Amino acid sequence: MSAFSLFEKKSTFGSVYVILIVNRLQLLYFLFITPMFLVQPYMIWAIIAVGILSQLNLVLLSKWFTSNFAAMGYQGFVKLLGERTVRFFAFIGLFPILIKIVVTTLHYVGTISQFIFPSMKISWLIFFVFGISCFVASHGMENTIRFVVIAYLCVFWMILLFFYPFFTPPIAALHDLYPLIPTEWSLHSWYALLFLWSAFSGPEYLICLTPWLDNNQKMLKYLTIGNILTLLEYLIVFIASLFFFGSNYLSKTNYPVVNMVRFLQSPIFERIDIILISVDLFHFVFNIAILLLFFYGATRISLKRLEKQTTPIGLISIYVAIFVFMFILQKWFWRPGTSDINIWVTIEMWSGAFTYLLVPAFLMIAIRRKGRVQ
Amino acid sequence: MFWNKSKEDKGSDRGQNQSQQNQQNQQSQQNQQKDQTQTKTATPLTLENLKQKLAKMDDAEIIEREPNADLKVTFIYIRTLVNQERLNESVIEPLNHWTHNSVFDTLSIAKIKSISTLEEALEQLLSGSVIIYDVFYEQWWTVHLDIALSRSIESSETETILYGPKDSFSEQIDQNITLIRRRLPITELKTESFNVGSMSKTTIVLMYIEGLTNPEIISIARDKLSSIDFDLFLESSNVAAFMEEHPHSIFPQFQQTDRPDVCVYSLGLGKLTLLVNNTPFALIAPITFFHHFQSPEDYIHRWIIASFLRTLRFISYFVSITLIPMYVALTTHHYQMMPMQILFVVMESRLNLPFTPFWEAFLILATLEIIKEASLRMPTKSGQTLGVIGGIVIGQAAVQAEFASKVLIVLAGIATIASFLVPNYLMTKSHAIIQFVFLVLSSFLGVLGIVIGMIAFLAHLSAITSLKQPYFAPLAPFHGRDWIDLFIRGHLPWMKTRPVYLHPLKKWRTSRRR
Repeated sequence: MSAFSLFEKKSTFGSVYVILIVNRLQLLYFLFITPMFLVQPYMIWAIIAVGILSQLNLVLLSKWFTSNFAAMGYQGFVKLLGERTVRFFAFIGLFPILIKIVVTTLHYVGTISQFIFPSMKISWLIFFVFGISCFVASHGMENTIRFVVIAYLCVFWMILLFFYPFFTPPIAALHDLYPLIPTEWSLHSWYALLFLWSAFSGPEYLICLTPWLDNNQKMLKYLTIGNILTLLEYLIVFIASLFFFGSNYLSKTNYPVVNMVRFLQSPIFERIDIILISVDLFHFVFNIAILLLFFYGATRISLKRLEKQTTPIGLISIYVAIFVFMFILQKWFWRPGTSDINIWVTIEMWSGAFTYLLVPAFLMIAIRRKGRVQ
Repeated sequence: MFWNKSKEDKGSDRGQNQSQQNQQNQQSQQNQQKDQTQTKTATPLTLENLKQKLAKMDDAEIIEREPNADLKVTFIYIRTLVNQERLNESVIEPLNHWTHNSVFDTLSIAKIKSISTLEEALEQLLSGSVIIYDVFYEQWWTVHLDIALSRSIESSETETILYGPKDSFSEQIDQNITLIRRRLPITELKTESFNVGSMSKTTIVLMYIEGLTNPEIISIARDKLSSIDFDLFLESSNVAAFMEEHPHSIFPQFQQTDRPDVCVYSLGLGKLTLLVNNTPFALIAPITFFHHFQSPEDYIHRWIIASFLRTLRFISYFVSITLIPMYVALTTHHYQMMPMQILFVVMESRLNLPFTPFWEAFLILATLEIIKEASLRMPTKSGQTLGVIGGIVIGQAAVQAEFASKVLIVLAGIATIASFLVPNYLMTKSHAIIQFVFLVLSSFLGVLGIVIGMIAFLAHLSAITSLKQPYFAPLAPFHGRDWIDLFIRGHLPWMKTRPVYLHPLKKWRTSRRR
């Protein structure tokens, strides 16, 4: 590579990439902690309902991809909204992206700290996890998109481990799944719904990948497959945790999914959770790396530097700035451990829910409005 | 093929077949420009000029003959490069009966052409030609009579197989082309000749199947070959070094092979082959990381057995790079991961060791690498001694002196043997570096360190290219259809399509579908 070109487009990415990116963006640290928010068995319906709502949102998103504006890439956004508005939204978008990067990294690092290296300084863990994400992002957008296949193949099999011990007797008992009809509905239940909606967020960032995705393909079909995969994974994990803990005990446990995995054994290794948490880094690295590139791209748009060549200094400056922000946040403003009391997780949850709700709808309205004006 | 022609020489050539003319016509624009530049700066060819250039060359011969009173001819050649018998038979003997015909008409041999510049004459002389100066007509001719110094065709030592073709390439490029042409008797098999090396004047032949290999890939290879500027090329890997897009990567981006059947199979899939003169190793590109795990024997075995063996190679490679780092990770950070019985064994064997697990593993691996390197450099007869010393030093003395645990010795043995399963020798060399990097990471971060190393390793693989085609295909980019010949080797009749990442002009391998 002669020039440092992070956003060069040499090829377009097809169906497999859309499916996997949707699925991976929807499964961040939420998977680790979802059951402790949902608690009640009837929340199975909530997962399905939010999955269907997410599907409706993806229908709106697919309209964007099939529009003529999407085919034009960045210029399509400019044509649709005007350059100033695009720059404004790119600037606004920096905040949810930054929050997502920081919370995802710190949450994963917190999990490592709690289950693998309780005595290690968290700053070192942040350095290594963020460092490897930066390394992957430095290879450019195309290579990072390609990395999703590697990330998926390295972690998809983990969900299969839940089937044998947790879905079979004696752990699996049908009465753990009752009541399936809600008997009461509290504020916490609404909070759980918000959490779920935020957990399903992520595909809205696909609009940042518009130039790289093949718009001629059946986008809705592939977005749907990705969404269904996510839905199934959340269902499997939640039902397994209901079988394992029971709804009464589920609300009292932290990191229920990781604690379940600790009970898995093999003839060679006793603590499989150490391997599984470590290997899950593939998934997190992909997400953090692609978000880093989104952040860098959005910064360039905001600063009106899109026509200029990307530079290593620019990229490294972004890395350093985010790392420093993350370090400060972790040092003075982050409360490790349970997530429900962490204000940053709450902020991320709200911002994720808002972006997922607003971005596809906003684009849809803009396309309609533009069509009517023309 | 062995000399550069200028435009005015084309008409006087005899015996050059059509394909050779095509090769010359297809030379890149850059080569033509070079030729034109040379013609512009050409020195006139005179006997004095030539004698001056050949001064202090003991093996240079200048012989003057006068077959008739009014006819005179001068032969100039390098004795050590010319086949003397053929010189007598094909040139000297006919010219003894020379009348007033031109030399061209008198010598009824194929490889004769006229020359006019000193540069051409020197190039011909040094490639094994005889220069003939016809004093009567004042014309200069060259006849190519080089000595075909070559080994006989032997079986490959680097890629040995039990069943299948036994022949392998030699140092003679023409002989190597013959071995390929015999297996691919089609006119679509094209050969383009390039000369690289300002001193070595090494001939490189680019081979591909026209109408099958993607023209973009051919064009990339042509451009890269034309832009090579260096003095000496003694081995095909020297050429690869100038053509690789990621010179700082530890992974070879060209496949080196001395097996003609491997070249032919690759050509048939839509790849290129580069034959380099004076080396038996051809270069194949574009390749992927996974090609290094493929053996010619994969296509000889029953497909289930071949698939098992190929999968075993991948697992072995994974084991070879992670086993020792895993030992360090477990003994340094994750004792709790080991079942009680294994933990007792490990603790007992490490009880009196003075080193930490990292230094213990590092020293053992470093010793192993030293022994492996020494066994390659030492004469064959000393190999056994080395084996015994290595075995005693590592196997017994290290354990008895309590420098290393028995468990580590066993694991080091397994990892080393596992690394030998990779058929590509150049690839096995890269594994040691990966192993050391993983070792350092595992000592810092245990299993997480190994995973971080693995991510860096895979991200790097997915980012590099071979002739601008993705190196980690068909995994990233994902081409599901090509997985039939990836970790498993599918049943041959099922492999009906050519690899997608090569973008061949003909997708289907069966003649019914195009």
